[in-house]
Amino acid sequence: MSEMIEIIVDDKTYRAEEGSLLIDLLIREEIKVPYFCYHESLGADGNCRMCMVEIAGQKRPQIACDTLVKSGMEVNSKSTKIEKVHTDILELELINHPVDCPTCDQAGECSLQDLYMDYGLHDAKVTIVDKVKHDKKVDLGSNVMLDQERCVLCARCTRFTDKITHTHELGIIGRGDEAKVSTMPGRKLDNPYAMNVVDLCPVGALTSKDFRFHQRVWFLQSAESICHGCAKGCNIYIDHNKMKYQDDVIYRFRPRRNDAVNGFYICDEGRLSYKELETNRLESMLYDGVVVDEHEAIAQYKSLLTQYQGRVSVVIDANLYSEEIEAIVAYAERIGAKVFAPLECYNDPSFADDMLKSAQRAANYGAIVKMGLETNMPSDAGLIINFNHPTHFNAEAEIHFSTHKQESNALLLPMAAFSENSGSLINEVGLEQWCEKAVEKNSPAPTVLSWLEKVEG
Amino acid sequence: MREVAIVSRKFAVENSHTLSVAQAHGAYKTLEKLHTLAPLEIIEIIKESGLRGKGGGGAPAGAKWALMPQESERPSFVVINCDESEPGTFKDRQIITKDPHLLIEGILITCYAVKAKHAYVYIRGEYAQYQDVLQGAVDEAYVAGILGEVDVTLHRGAGAYICGEKSALLESLEGKRGHPRLKPKQPEPEWYFGNPTLVNNVETIASVPFIMEHGAAAYRAYGTEKSPGTLLFAMSGHVEKPGVYEAEFGVSMMDYINHYGGGMKNGKKLKAVIPGGASTGVMTAAEADNVQLDYESLRSMGLSLGTGGMIVMDEDTCMVSVLKNLLEFYHEESCGQCTPCREGTGWVDKLVGKILDKRGSSEDIDKLLEVAETMNGKTICVFAPAVSAVIVSFLSRFRDEFEAAL
Ligand SMILES: Cc1cc2nc3c(=O)[nH]c(=O)nc-3n(C[C@H](O)[C@H](O)[C@H](O)COP(=O)(O)O)c2cc1C
Ligand code: SF4
Ligand code: SF4
Ligand code: FES
Repeated sequence: MSEMIEIIVDDKTYRAEEGSLLIDLLIREEIKVPYFCYHESLGADGNCRMCMVEIAGQKRPQIACDTLVKSGMEVNSKSTKIEKVHTDILELELINHPVDCPTCDQAGECSLQDLYMDYGLHDAKVTIVDKVKHDKKVDLGSNVMLDQERCVLCARCTRFTDKITHTHELGIIGRGDEAKVSTMPGRKLDNPYAMNVVDLCPVGALTSKDFRFHQRVWFLQSAESICHGCAKGCNIYIDHNKMKYQDDVIYRFRPRRNDAVNGFYICDEGRLSYKELETNRLESMLYDGVVVDEHEAIAQYKSLLTQYQGRVSVVIDANLYSEEIEAIVAYAERIGAKVFAPLECYNDPSFADDMLKSAQRAANYGAIVKMGLETNMPSDAGLIINFNHPTHFNAEAEIHFSTHKQESNALLLPMAAFSENSGSLINEVGLEQWCEKAVEKNSPAPTVLSWLEKVEG
Repeated sequence: MREVAIVSRKFAVENSHTLSVAQAHGAYKTLEKLHTLAPLEIIEIIKESGLRGKGGGGAPAGAKWALMPQESERPSFVVINCDESEPGTFKDRQIITKDPHLLIEGILITCYAVKAKHAYVYIRGEYAQYQDVLQGAVDEAYVAGILGEVDVTLHRGAGAYICGEKSALLESLEGKRGHPRLKPKQPEPEWYFGNPTLVNNVETIASVPFIMEHGAAAYRAYGTEKSPGTLLFAMSGHVEKPGVYEAEFGVSMMDYINHYGGGMKNGKKLKAVIPGGASTGVMTAAEADNVQLDYESLRSMGLSLGTGGMIVMDEDTCMVSVLKNLLEFYHEESCGQCTPCREGTGWVDKLVGKILDKRGSSEDIDKLLEVAETMNGKTICVFAPAVSAVIVSFLSRFRDEFEAAL
């Protein structure tokens, strides 16, 4: 690590590592400078020219994303002169922009829109005769749609496919104001992380086919959670909303920055896994394929338990929260049942890569390993009480707490999904992380803990 | 005017592009002497000669050579800039067609001095037929064993003006889009695939054999104190004999135009001169009357000498349409990275188009200057500032013509 030095920004003193990027300091200290092209994971490209600041002793304004911090440096980010520079460049940025915010999905989370407001360009002096026309609906592949007119050519998306995924599908073709983002001839955007370019895009040029036109972002509420796609434990936001007279539903997962786990990104499969939480859910209690009410279900539960006394096995899904697993283990002890947490079914080497995706496809894999639970199922179970484990095990009788519908004659009891509950998870390397409850359904399925109370009550 | 032929000495010789003729006229003589000197001694001679880069910037060549590492684990490269796309400039093609062996000789000296074993010549895409001549000369030199352990590779550009900018040129040579790179924080060589690289203009390198043969003082005997030596100045436009004629720095512009260009075409009156390629601004006839052709004189007028390719315009020229013509070029050629340049070049082109169509208002002139200001000093390379300076030079000198067109 280099020496820590002091620099002055807008008359205040800050400490920073000598030789680090000035823009990192501005971002960290929440000193507002406009910018499009810089991104902490992609580095400086210096193309948008928006992040200009004044530096004492320098004749011309300098871009903060390509300025190295030096001891005693004096920076001005707010002078009238520099604000005029910001306004002027922004004005140029807008001359060929379609300004179609009312129909743009980025509206509300768009850097260009925010800056437009900040720099007071409300009375557009923009009187350009003919705007440059481009394609507004390019299907790049992997659920990503491109509107070339909205693009500010910051090259974040192309740098992502060059530097992060090394798949090189995207490029900028053409010169000057005819320049536009495109895929390489004959190729589609096609890599397991492709949809991250939608988050990277500072404007509404790249939108997700999966999300666009479904919801205005300002209606969405975000909960901090962990993706359940594998044991990596990528941090996400669950964006959801309950519209009037409707149920609370999830509209998207978004990556949440965590440098110790996933950085800025998540894989597409994990991103789209929210859909599973909204489809094919088990909504009613069933016994032998027939709907039963809670009273009948609990009576049936108890009778099965009595019938198989001494021959009961409890099976635990490695996606349940640690708090749930602990409560189930304690419950099993009280009823004299054996506990199993078979892990084999989660192992999927074909899913794994060297970026984020793990071969262990269970979010609380680390907890099962840490608790040392038995992972080998016996073949001679009498009654199995299955807490959402994905495998169907042979037994004389079965009680199945399940988030999703099952083809089964067992006593099927619907339970809350992870998004409808809070709890902690341990990832494959032993890191413990917390998930907030995101969704409050109109008629929520009970959580594991409330089920245990019900059946013991 | 004192006649001088340093780079153009074999231009009048028939078939001088062939090895035998070139050698009969002294080509490659300096190579015998080369190995009696150490590389650093050669760099010292180049420094003493005051040789300045002839690609437009006029940067001292010796200092640039000295940035190249003499000890390096990575291979060093020499890249010759023959992109020559600046409107009004057509001198380098004279060298590669009329005396390609002079360039090759210069390349060999340069490679020896900066310890490079491989030189590239990046040639403007449209110069296919000139490239063939140069390639023929390189082939002959290979066969004759003249190149020694140096390889010379010709690389043809794809027709982008910006690829003449040295870092964009290197990006292009690496097989990427020709986008200028962010400038380094302190003086350092250029980098080709991460290897130290020297980029010089064709004419710069073609001037090196003379200096090797006759010494730094002989070169300094021409030109001015700060702009020593000669340049392949050129003329196009409304003159009787447009063409490329070598002259020493410091000659009077009008003497040059009258002496070599035979004066104005059809006896018309001079109206304006673009002194050294499109990006150098414009001057009035009165200014042209009093200016000397060297870097400092032009700089003091707020213009630049550039490549010395003068565009001469007579009294019938419409300055609004000249500016429009130039701006169309820049609009087409901006690489498109930097917002002010990508969007600005289009905007100014459209604004001047509006004025030319008599649809303009005085606000459009103000806007033009305002956009020019935003394009100045805020971009990765000097393309946008040059466009800005061109606009300012036109409006500060011929504003009445723009106003008359409203
Ligand atoms: C937009 C632009 C275009 C340029 N085009 C050329 C060119 O065609 N030929 C050239 O030699 N230099 C050109 N240059 C200058 C080069 O960047 C570089 O300074 C030069 O090749 C260095 O060689 P020199 O020092 O021998 O002149 C251009 C610069 C800019 C900014
Ligand atoms: S599509 Fe978005 S991320 Fe890509 S260059 Fe355009 S604005 Fe930047
Ligand atoms: S100033 Fe213009 S030509 Fe130069 S890098 Fe920027 S956009 Fe490209
Ligand atoms: S963020 Fe610095 S130039 Fe774009």
